Amino acid sequence: MEIIIKDLKKTFGEKVAVDIPALTIRSGELLGLVGNNGAGKSTLFRLMLDLIKADTGTVCMKAGSPLPAPPLGECSSAAAPSALPFSENEALPQRGSGEGAGWSGEAINVAETEVWKDWTGAFVDESFLIDYLTPDEYFHFIARLTDTSDEQLQAFLDEYQHFMADELAGQKKLIRTLSAGNKQKVGIMAAMLLQPKVLILDEPFNFLDPSSQNAIKHLLQKYNKKTGATILVSSHNLQHTVDISSRIVLLEHGKVIQDIDNREHQAQSILENYFEINE
Amino acid sequence: MRLPTMNKYTLYKLIARNADLKAERHPMLDKNRFMKFLMAFMWLYYAAILVFLGVVMAMGMKYSYNGVAAFHVFDGGMLWLLICDFWFRFVLQETPAQNVQPYALLPIRRSFLMNVYLARAGLSLGNLYWGFLLVPFALIAIVIPFGWLHSFGWLLGWWLLLVANGYAYLFCRALIMKHLAWTLLPAVIHGALIAIMLVPDKNPLDMPCTLFMYGFFKWAVLPFLCTMAVIAFFYWANYRLQMGMVHDEVAKKEDRELRHTSELSFLNRYGKLGEYMKLEVRQRMRNKSVRMGFLIGLGIMLMFSLVMYFSDVYDNSIMRSFICLYNYVILGMMTLVTIMCYEGNYIDGLMSRRESILQLLTAKYYFNVLLLLIPPIILLPLMIIGKMSVWMNVGYLFFTAGVVYPMLFQMAVYNDNTLPMNTKMTGKQGNMAQQIISMVILFLPLGLEKLAGLLLGEPWGYVLLAVMGIVGLATHRLWLRNVYTRFMARRYKNMEGFRASRQG
Repeated sequence: MEIIIKDLKKTFGEKVAVDIPALTIRSGELLGLVGNNGAGKSTLFRLMLDLIKADTGTVCMKAGSPLPAPPLGECSSAAAPSALPFSENEALPQRGSGEGAGWSGEAINVAETEVWKDWTGAFVDESFLIDYLTPDEYFHFIARLTDTSDEQLQAFLDEYQHFMADELAGQKKLIRTLSAGNKQKVGIMAAMLLQPKVLILDEPFNFLDPSSQNAIKHLLQKYNKKTGATILVSSHNLQHTVDISSRIVLLEHGKVIQDIDNREHQAQSILENYFEINE
Repeated sequence: MRLPTMNKYTLYKLIARNADLKAERHPMLDKNRFMKFLMAFMWLYYAAILVFLGVVMAMGMKYSYNGVAAFHVFDGGMLWLLICDFWFRFVLQETPAQNVQPYALLPIRRSFLMNVYLARAGLSLGNLYWGFLLVPFALIAIVIPFGWLHSFGWLLGWWLLLVANGYAYLFCRALIMKHLAWTLLPAVIHGALIAIMLVPDKNPLDMPCTLFMYGFFKWAVLPFLCTMAVIAFFYWANYRLQMGMVHDEVAKKEDRELRHTSELSFLNRYGKLGEYMKLEVRQRMRNKSVRMGFLIGLGIMLMFSLVMYFSDVYDNSIMRSFICLYNYVILGMMTLVTIMCYEGNYIDGLMSRRESILQLLTAKYYFNVLLLLIPPIILLPLMIIGKMSVWMNVGYLFFTAGVVYPMLFQMAVYNDNTLPMNTKMTGKQGNMAQQIISMVILFLPLGLEKLAGLLLGEPWGYVLLAVMGIVGLATHRLWLRNVYTRFMARRYKNMEGFRASRQG
């Protein structure tokens, strides 16, 4: 799934949070987003997930071919499956079926329809978690919403057992009583549970112990290779970001400062210089 | 090395300033100037009503009870005012334990903090709000016939009683925070007092209350001493109890493991809708604020029904209709007026799933319609003894499901303030639109029923209500989708509001 950002701008009062004239995230890319505090990483993710309103511009999703990148696609409301936003006339693509809007090559503006939510998983912060459920209940809830069978859910939990480290599955603890790290794990797993074609994770390494940080790195790389999903990860941990990303975008004051091809891990020195790590 | 220390008065001023800022910058008020204006307006509006009542009561009692001074008549009912004052405090006053928490790790003695907050609670201007009623009353009923001195004594007595009432409230509130069952303590005491005042032909508490207040009027020492002893007792009790509470608040003590979990698997057959129904059930079971609202609604239903069953104070046409309607709408009103406000805590997660808001609204509607099975059970004895007609129940049941609920669901479009689910009930939880719609749903159906009854005769007024309700029920999918579409059109504004008002 390709993500096409065009003329995207968001300001909070005088402060420019995001100002990106054009950015295409190609299908199957694992894109790392880095930048100092206030660079606009979380705001960009929220714009991509239609959780805040852009001042101008669009974020579109489109079934795209893997690298190299196709020309920048246009997206408009005309490309959306229904003239009426949020009506019951929306074509509902079955997960993984390759049918419906977005799968047939039409670009979908995320602000004008909800179909993209069927193939997009995200975890930005705790406001994604229903904290009066236990982790099992929450996974079950997400599984039901995404038409995941009990068998598929169990297989998923088995696969992530190491990552959960016996602290989540089968526990009678409410999510709100979990540690910050375990909440983070629940959020990440719930985002991955629906086997998304687009996965957006804001600061996924935060609060996690070193073992879990390594585990999530491997899980993301494995998932990316196995499914060809487009994955976007923001992080302040440059090492982890360089280790897993095929491309790294450096954001500052809402603008893209550098767009680095990292397939050979060549971003390391550029980022170290930028953030003055070795001085 | 000895660190420089701040003197206690400066520290007191600093903490007091922070407490004022907390109130001023409450998320509900901080969001817009309009809300601040409305709050100020309502403050003045209720003050004006109290002044009006004070004047009217002073004049009315003067002419109604020849030979008995108006203030004696007023004082005979002093317990009513204290009971009202006590329960109003639940929506307006926080406990010291909740306020001390931010200072827990600072080098300030907790005992000092607790004393500051308890002293502020006693000296709070809120305790003077009833002055809008009492001062005009005293001016007319005491100053003119008896002079200033007696008036001051009487007003000072009232102030001390309200301070004592405030500390009693804080004590009960702290107990309720420990366990919800403590709600029964004030409920039973006040219920018993109300029963004693209402059930016998002559209120046996009238004379003791009158005499007690007369002591203030005469500047007798005993009533002042008694009231101050009560204040001192509750101050001490609050201090002891709430110091323990601070520790609980800081440690965020909560049962780490659920003792009982239910799969609610019977809801699985309803697919995604069933999952949202489970959310509704669990939201009520596992969150103190939501559960408290539900239980208060249930308690009010039971109280009204019991009073109606055992006494004849509500035996008139208007009160019968009001109590019947109230029983049907109260449970829905307790949660649906603030519909989506609890979901504001996890709105981003909900909005990340396709049409989840529509499914959620539908589940909420079905859940609340199912709750309508409770009132007929509670009201059944009243139907059996003939105090309430079956037609009235049928009319209000369908009217609530098909007309009142659709009105309440409109709030889903406009509510944009997150309410904390599991912190104890804190104040300022409703905005003006929420209060207005509460008033409309309580009084519009009554007017409709009375008008239809007048034009068509009984039971046709109730039949009309039922028919209107059935139409609303039958078209629920249409109006729910309409609410959902309008919610989505306003989603950015609402989500921004939810995020801005999220606490903790």
